[in-house]
Amino acid sequence: MAHHKISVTVNGSVESVDVPSNMTLLTMLREKLGLTGTKNGCTAGECGACTVFLNGEPVNSCLVLAVECDGAEVRTVESLARNGQLDPIQQSVIDHNAVQCGFCTPGVLISARALLDRNPDPTEEEIRDALVGNLCRCTGYIRILDAVKDAARVGAAPGTGGSR
Amino acid sequence: MDTVETTTPRPHQENAAPRPVGESVTRLDAHEKVTGEAVFADDLQFGPNMLYARIKRSPHPHARILKIDASQALALPGVKTVVTGQSTPGFIGLYLKDRHIFCTDRARFVGDPVAGVAAVTEEIAERALDLIHVEYEVLPPVLDPEDGVRPDAELLHPELGSYEVANFIFPQPGTNIPNLFKIRKGDVDQALSEAAAVVHHTFRVPHVQHVPIEPHVAIAKVDERGRVTLWGSSQSPFAQRNLIASALGISQADLEVVAPYVGGGFGCKAGVSMEALAVAIAMQVRGRPVKLRLTREEEFYTTFVRQGLVAHFTMACDAEGNLTAMDNKFYWDGGAYAEYGVNMTRGAGYSSSGPYDVPNVRTDSFCVYTNHPVGGPMRGFGQPEMQCGLEQCINHLALEIGMDPMDFRRRNCVKEGSNLVTGMKMHATGIGECIEKAAEAIGWGHKDPPSAPHKRRGKGIAAMWKAPAMSPNAGSSAWIEMSEDGKCTLGLGGQELGQGTFTVMAQMAAATLGIPYDWVRIASPVDTKYSPYEWQTVASRLTWSMGNAVVAAAKDARRQILELVARSWEETPEDLDIVNGNVISAKSGRSSSLKGLVVYGLAKPGDQGWIGGPILGRGSFMPTYVTGLDPETGQGQRAVVHYTTGAQAVEVEVDLETGRVQVLRGASAFDMGKAINPDLVNVQMEGGLVQGISTALFECLQLKDGVVRNPSFVDYRIATSADAPRDMQSIIVEVPQDDGPFGARGVGEHSMVPTMPAIANAIHDALGIHPGAPPFTAEKVYLAMVDAGLVK
Amino acid sequence: MREAHPGLPDFDYVRPADLEEASRFLAQNPQTARPFMGGTDTFVRLRDGFWKETRYLVDVKNLDGRSEITFDPQKGLTVGAAVSMNQVVANPRVGSHYSLLAQAAHRVASYQLRTRATLVGNVCNASPAGDTLGACLLFGGVLRVHGVEGFRDEPLASFFQGPGRTALKPGDIVTAIRFPLPVPGSVGHYEKLGRNLLSDLAIVGVTVLGHPDSSTASGYRFHLALASVGPVPVVLPDLLTQAPVTPEALEEAAGQAMESCHPIDDVRGSARYRKLMVRNLSRRALTRVWEGLQSGYRGE
Repeated sequence: MAHHKISVTVNGSVESVDVPSNMTLLTMLREKLGLTGTKNGCTAGECGACTVFLNGEPVNSCLVLAVECDGAEVRTVESLARNGQLDPIQQSVIDHNAVQCGFCTPGVLISARALLDRNPDPTEEEIRDALVGNLCRCTGYIRILDAVKDAARVGAAPGTGGSR
Repeated sequence: MDTVETTTPRPHQENAAPRPVGESVTRLDAHEKVTGEAVFADDLQFGPNMLYARIKRSPHPHARILKIDASQALALPGVKTVVTGQSTPGFIGLYLKDRHIFCTDRARFVGDPVAGVAAVTEEIAERALDLIHVEYEVLPPVLDPEDGVRPDAELLHPELGSYEVANFIFPQPGTNIPNLFKIRKGDVDQALSEAAAVVHHTFRVPHVQHVPIEPHVAIAKVDERGRVTLWGSSQSPFAQRNLIASALGISQADLEVVAPYVGGGFGCKAGVSMEALAVAIAMQVRGRPVKLRLTREEEFYTTFVRQGLVAHFTMACDAEGNLTAMDNKFYWDGGAYAEYGVNMTRGAGYSSSGPYDVPNVRTDSFCVYTNHPVGGPMRGFGQPEMQCGLEQCINHLALEIGMDPMDFRRRNCVKEGSNLVTGMKMHATGIGECIEKAAEAIGWGHKDPPSAPHKRRGKGIAAMWKAPAMSPNAGSSAWIEMSEDGKCTLGLGGQELGQGTFTVMAQMAAATLGIPYDWVRIASPVDTKYSPYEWQTVASRLTWSMGNAVVAAAKDARRQILELVARSWEETPEDLDIVNGNVISAKSGRSSSLKGLVVYGLAKPGDQGWIGGPILGRGSFMPTYVTGLDPETGQGQRAVVHYTTGAQAVEVEVDLETGRVQVLRGASAFDMGKAINPDLVNVQMEGGLVQGISTALFECLQLKDGVVRNPSFVDYRIATSADAPRDMQSIIVEVPQDDGPFGARGVGEHSMVPTMPAIANAIHDALGIHPGAPPFTAEKVYLAMVDAGLVK
Repeated sequence: MREAHPGLPDFDYVRPADLEEASRFLAQNPQTARPFMGGTDTFVRLRDGFWKETRYLVDVKNLDGRSEITFDPQKGLTVGAAVSMNQVVANPRVGSHYSLLAQAAHRVASYQLRTRATLVGNVCNASPAGDTLGACLLFGGVLRVHGVEGFRDEPLASFFQGPGRTALKPGDIVTAIRFPLPVPGSVGHYEKLGRNLLSDLAIVGVTVLGHPDSSTASGYRFHLALASVGPVPVVLPDLLTQAPVTPEALEEAAGQAMESCHPIDDVRGSARYRKLMVRNLSRRALTRVWEGLQSGYRGE
């Protein structure tokens, strides 16, 4: 099987990675770059635990080939906090007890950040719709919805988080 | 050493629990979980020496294994070993040792592990599976528990009589019944013949899956001397150490289990499911870590499932609405191995009256071997399945004699001193208050108009009870080690699954010790080599059991500190206290920071030497009072440690054009004795309610001829962000537990126990149709409406 | 039993320089090469062990001019093959002229999946449950296809041949889907029934497009398409033309939809339920469109 040398910007740093054709972006992040904050829950684009930003839009990284990311810009949960300052959505998730086991949380945070980036003042229906691809078995979701709503109220401090 | 002299008087609060117990402090683990730093088992790094394992599984529900030819697989470059049942002849199991790590002579369910491969990549290991050739003789399967108990049924475990078994499990050799639990209380036949109303219903509750978002993963390494290290996503590091060591014939001291954060468990990561496979494979490739992670599809059919249940209820009351009799027959679909499931059978039996005072009860609770996936513990441990039918019958009976179902429950629910089905006396409980408050919270008795002409609304309620179902002497232990600055590290063996146990343990330690909450660190990950013993993180038992151990350890540390300072100050320990991290004397008004003294001790006056030494508090707890029950009658002194009780009430709206049921609001009220962290209790109640809604409306493992037809998120639907009701109320009721820390008992599982019947009863209220067994899918409800002539 | 692999099977990733090279490569390797765009269906199927013979995945989304939505007030809408579902949903031209298409695209899976999933991919995948197939059919979609012999058009009306089977031949690459201008005053609605509220596949999907028509006795014309009730989408054109549109007539048309489909039992639902839902949801969708036509509603 062919390998490909790709160049990809991950969390602001340019990485040169050698990837086989069938390696997913998820596997590259976790196993080539050691960025284990992004989780593998189903490998089928159903659970959302692997959600990351690809060129500014949230994707299931288990359904993207690493080789497709040559020249792309990827952001993971590890990029949300900057200089010890949490992104407002991270703080809001803590404040609302919207995290339990924490396995879905990285993907939830990316989906939520992406929503707030494109719609700074979402309705509850819009939040539910934006998070429907992030399965959570612990919280019952309402705390997550509230956390997103409150983070929208706070807004994003300049220079923190997101895909801008 | 810093010693601060002050004259601040000691604040004294006699009645309130000491801070921060009872406060909704921020979770200890929240920060690392929102930054992606929290480490889960699959995140651990092992370097290029690691091998990957994959498992060859039986495609047949029941078959004799005639021959396994692995030669082609072994010849594949990159394959390091192929392991079969020949290398692991021992038995494994928690309550009943009926399972081999790999199948030996027969496979008993689709997915049963037949062989394991370790290779340098996961892909090669996967490819090698196709090169292992297994010859089977297909045997007739047992696919229904009621079929399994027939005398002519194919025997799945002919050796049942020879299996090692816990003394409270009663296998029936020569049958497919690995446990039969019976209750015989009063005279059921007489009571039925005198009853004012009798209802009878049968429910066939399907298998469901736990569906943690983190799949199972285990990494095992065996050194040249045969000492084992196992890293995994585990609710039960110590039980795994014990069970796997026993199966392999090695010392527990030579098996170390390291268990980082668990990405959701709900029971499926309790006991041993797939972890022993990784160990058995690693045995053959010593020195190399071997990682086995299950695909989401394997999660659905190869790990523990929540057992299916066929339940027959006959229930009676008198004209005043007093319950007089229950006659129950439960057939649990234990699956291929019942090593854990046998205890669900028992738990359902000793709780088979539901949370009601019933003078005459007859119950036969059968665990039955079938050729289905292995039944194991799941949040509620049999109670959601059993009480699903029971609470629908209660509702029906109330309506039958013209009583409000809420009043009927209120009238019949257990009270302090009630004589329970096992003969045990009920302790103080707040169930009556829970029933009333849950009903009140959804406006019980008022019918709101539906949101559209083609919809109908209804309200339903269900009460519940559940005891920790466990070995009678399941123990806990803890230690507290002080650091130089007075902060402390709390060692414990219970696992953080998301329920917040690390946080509430830190709260209890801080409160007992007298230090701020944020001075407590948890010694994690749990590691059986360094962490103190904990039986398992199951049964909602940690807050109570491990909490007692933590409080004991904190008291021990506190005693040592106070004795040390008292000696130095020439006072008595009884006059001293630790408040906010300072030792304070009520008598002399002296005060000292903990800094230094908790590690270095204190200098004697005039440089004449030292007293004290590093403070290490230790504590342990084990219930000693649970007694055996008679095999024929189920009667005994004390069947369980205690019961947590509660109720849920829901309002639903049914779409008459599609049958879709939407839960508009739900109220949960539970008596957890004392909420150590009220908001963590609230989120347990919310999460449990939504998980309950999910199992009530959507979830069903579709088994056909032993094959799971929907082993993926595409076709096994769970509730999403769109399905959770906005209006969820959580009500905390606190009737203290006499032997609980600060009066607490567990509440983790309970919040999904009454959800299915509460929704079923609400559907009945809306439509006048008994929806029966879950899931109450749109299809099921619509077709029931068609059959009832409600729609066409 | 589906035995899904932990990862994707072996294949080589191929990125052709242009359409000619892509078509040639695909035509030369008819059994072993597959084109892919967003990959959301392709990767899942590969992992599930379908298409065991696949050796090459040919990335056709980065070829020229395929990532745009263009609208011409005379000719209508063109959606490039690499346009994602989210782009379809958010596009103002789609929203104002083809809102039914946006509504259907919005009902596909989840937001993050729709970042990658494409409208053309959904069509080419030819799943009987495809959410957007009905809208594409009722808007008269025509695929622009590049094959070894150059470009040609494939009308959707004759495109679907079975689950996953279409009129495409080895070497064919769809570059865009074009829709003529809708009849003025058109109103559409997509009614989807999943097991849970959002993100599920359709147990039944009903797409309805209606418009005023002075040539009919009723003064209107309705078209209806059904998802998940047959191997290919079921289309009922030209409904409710003969007599005045009344609740009874709508009910009758819904009954006609029910009679026209022959669903099967599967893990998502029984044939019996599906038929009943085709009737009820067709009635609901037809009524919504009818109300819209009377009030100026343009669909969601």
